[in-house]
Amino acid sequence: MAEQGENGENPLDIDGSNFNPDMYLECLMKCATLRQVMDKEAEIVTQSQFLQSEMQTLVYENYNKFISATETVRKMRSDFIIMQEEMNKLSENINKITTFSGQISESLKESGNNVSRLCGTRQLLDKLQFLFLLPSQLNKAILEGRYTDAVHDYTHAQRVLQKYGNQPSFQSIQTECSEIIYGLKKTLRDRLLSPETSASELAESVGLLRQLQETDSSLKEIFLNCAESRLDKHLQTLNSIVDSTDILEWVEKCNDTLLADLGIITSCYHEMFQEEDHTDIPEFADKIMLQVFHLFEEVAKRPENIGTEMLIRGLDKFFRKLQAMTEIISSDTMSNKAVDVVIQCINHKATIQYQSIQTQFKESLMKVRQSLASKGSETTDLKDILNSLQVYFMQKVQASLLDLMAFLQNTLSFGLKAWCAKAVADTCWKVISETMANLSDMVKKMACLQTSNNNIPFELLLILAKLCLEMQENGVTTLHSHLVKLLEEAAPGLTLENRDTNSVMVHLSTAAQAALDSEVVFIGQTAAQMLRVSVLARDWLRAPEPRGPRAVCRRVVETLASADSAASQLFPTSIKPSSDSSRRTIWSRAPSSFSPINRIFSERIEVFSPAGADRAALSNGALKVALKALVECVRLRTFGRHGLQQLQVDVHFLQQRLSCMGNDERLLNALLEDALASAQLRCVDPQLMEPSIVDIICERG
Amino acid sequence: MEEGNSIIYGLEHQTRALSPQYESDAIRFLIGTQSLKPQSNQVHVVELEEDTGALHTKVFKHDIGEIWHLRCSPHDVATLLTTHNAYDPNTSQCSMGVSIYKLPTVEVIPKDLDDLSAIQGRNAEDMELLITITPEKPEEEIRCAEWHPTDPARIGVVYETGVVVHDVTTGAAAGGSGVGKARVKFQGGKWNPHQGHCQFAVLQDMHIKCFDTRTDCSKAAWSIDNAHRQLARDLDFNPNRQFHLATAGDDAALNIWDYRNGKEPIFSRTDHSHWVWTVRYNTYHEQLLLTGSSDARALLTAAASVCRDQDDEGARLSQVLEDGVLQSYEQHEDSVYACEWSAAEPWTFASLSYDARLVLSRVPRHFKYKILL
Repeated sequence: MAEQGENGENPLDIDGSNFNPDMYLECLMKCATLRQVMDKEAEIVTQSQFLQSEMQTLVYENYNKFISATETVRKMRSDFIIMQEEMNKLSENINKITTFSGQISESLKESGNNVSRLCGTRQLLDKLQFLFLLPSQLNKAILEGRYTDAVHDYTHAQRVLQKYGNQPSFQSIQTECSEIIYGLKKTLRDRLLSPETSASELAESVGLLRQLQETDSSLKEIFLNCAESRLDKHLQTLNSIVDSTDILEWVEKCNDTLLADLGIITSCYHEMFQEEDHTDIPEFADKIMLQVFHLFEEVAKRPENIGTEMLIRGLDKFFRKLQAMTEIISSDTMSNKAVDVVIQCINHKATIQYQSIQTQFKESLMKVRQSLASKGSETTDLKDILNSLQVYFMQKVQASLLDLMAFLQNTLSFGLKAWCAKAVADTCWKVISETMANLSDMVKKMACLQTSNNNIPFELLLILAKLCLEMQENGVTTLHSHLVKLLEEAAPGLTLENRDTNSVMVHLSTAAQAALDSEVVFIGQTAAQMLRVSVLARDWLRAPEPRGPRAVCRRVVETLASADSAASQLFPTSIKPSSDSSRRTIWSRAPSSFSPINRIFSERIEVFSPAGADRAALSNGALKVALKALVECVRLRTFGRHGLQQLQVDVHFLQQRLSCMGNDERLLNALLEDALASAQLRCVDPQLMEPSIVDIICERG
Repeated sequence: MEEGNSIIYGLEHQTRALSPQYESDAIRFLIGTQSLKPQSNQVHVVELEEDTGALHTKVFKHDIGEIWHLRCSPHDVATLLTTHNAYDPNTSQCSMGVSIYKLPTVEVIPKDLDDLSAIQGRNAEDMELLITITPEKPEEEIRCAEWHPTDPARIGVVYETGVVVHDVTTGAAAGGSGVGKARVKFQGGKWNPHQGHCQFAVLQDMHIKCFDTRTDCSKAAWSIDNAHRQLARDLDFNPNRQFHLATAGDDAALNIWDYRNGKEPIFSRTDHSHWVWTVRYNTYHEQLLLTGSSDARALLTAAASVCRDQDDEGARLSQVLEDGVLQSYEQHEDSVYACEWSAAEPWTFASLSYDARLVLSRVPRHFKYKILL
């Protein structure tokens, strides 16, 4: 039941279309009490009676309506007959009206014709009068310089003249007019070619000529030629004043003359020849602009215009004008070029900055060199020199970064552009990296030079090495963060892309290493050279009994000590070598111990090896170089007994004095032992002195 | 001798002198000892048996003094030249000289048991002394003596102060006398194998000077000034390219020069960590160079970039290698003062250190194949 109810087709719904009386009855019988059935019956009977009476009323009403409609139809039929008659009358009247109007128009036709003929004649006469007056009008206009009016009049008359030109009366007018116009054209052309005409006059003339039906191509050519020659003249003047004016003046002049004219010419050109494909005007403009840019670059690069403030103001003016121009000359290359000009200026500025930093730094280095040369390293404080150099260097770089930030001022036409900010950020970083690279290169070059000649004091190498290391450790990051801060202030939101600080640092550290190596080799070689010459020059075979260490040993010790003390100022060592074991005597090794077996247990000594940035390591390096040379030279000589003993004294002296330098006592002893052992091998009478005597001799000497 | 394995031969005394034996099919090297003890110096002949890798030696007495320099004759297999020094206790003076010896026998590998026992006993044999040349001034030092490349009768002797060409039959000076003329001492020298065999190049301080022995040697035929930043220690001419030579020096550098333009080396490497005492071109493959240094290393270096053009026949002589050190031989424990390529076999070489250790090594096989294939 519920399903049926849901379907809306309940067969038990007495008002539904699917009413099933049997089912309803059945259902009622089943569900209801007798009384309810009785009630229901009564209810149904009343309802059906009510329905029946209602139906009867409806039938009656409809019948009435039908009868009244029939009557109306009948009435309409009689009315239509009257209407027909009236319509017939109307058409008759209309026919009459038509005939009358025909008669009237026929009678008026003649006078109308006369009137129109008279009007025509009148117009013709006007035109004729205009024509007859035309030559004088033209002359008058031309005399007064109203070329535009003259051309306007002439173009009006020309059509007529062409039509009736063969009639004698007009012929004279036409010839006269053509002559005048020919003259006019000539004047206009003259004006085109004359250098005094302004760009607007030029444009006007060309426009007129064009109206006078000059062929377009030749006209365009003339126009372009004239424009070009004018612009060329401007260019020449601008070129000639490059050397005599400052950038502001130059830019003003350029804006007022060349760029203004170029703007007029370009806009005229577009107006006049716009129906054509205007491909060649940007090209032509580009050509001119290229030269302008070229000149501007020249101006910007002149040394007088190096002042940032002035350069920026000039650049700003120039760029403003260029931006205005790009609205007229819709050429991409030109707007790109304008951006390029600014970027180039920034780059140029940066280049000057780091070049000047370099030259200034070189000068200050020169001063340091001189002061080092005039004073000994004992009297000069290397640390002070290093500090002043470093501070000077950092300040210079920071100042130039700040200087470059001027390009990002809000008031400038390009100051807020993203590309400008990017260019400034790039160049700033370039200033930093180039400066560092220059520093590294310079140090490397000096380190290289050092090995070939001895002009550069070793203290300077130490200072430079330290400077490079300082830069690598702190300088680069300091400058980098400084730059980031500056950029944050000047152009918020601009992120400095991750710069390759690593390669800069690698450069610096290799330079420092080169300088250190060079210093070590220089000191070592100096000492080695002394030892070599002294060993090779001496006659060891017939040497007298030793009375003290040879003078060369003192000099070697002095050389090494001065380098050590210089290094100690810049590269302090935390660990001091212990001094208690330094007095150990080293002649315990018998000559027989000079065998491969002994060497197996000792480490291989790399003589020319990279030096560490540490006082002890530097001294070790120099010691190695010097003493290894001693070993090698001793092996080339033959010793007598006293010669050997002299060497013993020397070695002992060196051991005493050098053990306070460096921190590798094993190395020092090994090399000195080697020297003494080699001398023993090369001795014809190998008898060493008593250690106590050696001690005494050393102290006495 | 397998790949990477070197053969070591030890001697009793310090050694500086080493020479390959020329004109022979066997891989033989001669070593001279350097000892100031009288009657203790020897010449060792070392032969490497290629098939078995066995090492055979024969010892000869060299009682005339310690050997500073030794060259085998390129003309005769049994003849050798030693530069020696001896101490005379009576005058307490050292005197140097150059002697030419002839070996009684060239054979080293024992043929029978007697031979074997003789060698095992290391009984030093005698050599035949042909001539001894002594300097005019007795205390004059002799640096080295070199055989003339083509004339067996002539040797060039480098004194401290000059070069003299001696006739080996008479011992007389046969020309090219520059003795006493050089203010800066000479270190050593060599015949130029090109240019008609009359040029002798010497090492003087940092410079290389080459004299024409037909003149009075007052003026150098050509020179390379400042060939090294420190003392120049050795030079060797490229056997195939007539203007190329290699030099080694105290700046630890190996330089190759075209002496027509002696301003800049055409090849330079600093791979050693101390003075380089010797440099040798491989006779067959000029791109292979051997250097010995007092950092106790011998380095095999390829200088292919300067040997890159065509040889005389227009064909590629050999495939080229990358420039640089091919192999470092670290078996030495003291300074390597001499190293030599074998004259008989292009891939074998010997290096000699002061601690009396001879190391026979080979060019690593992959480099060999790279060159050959």
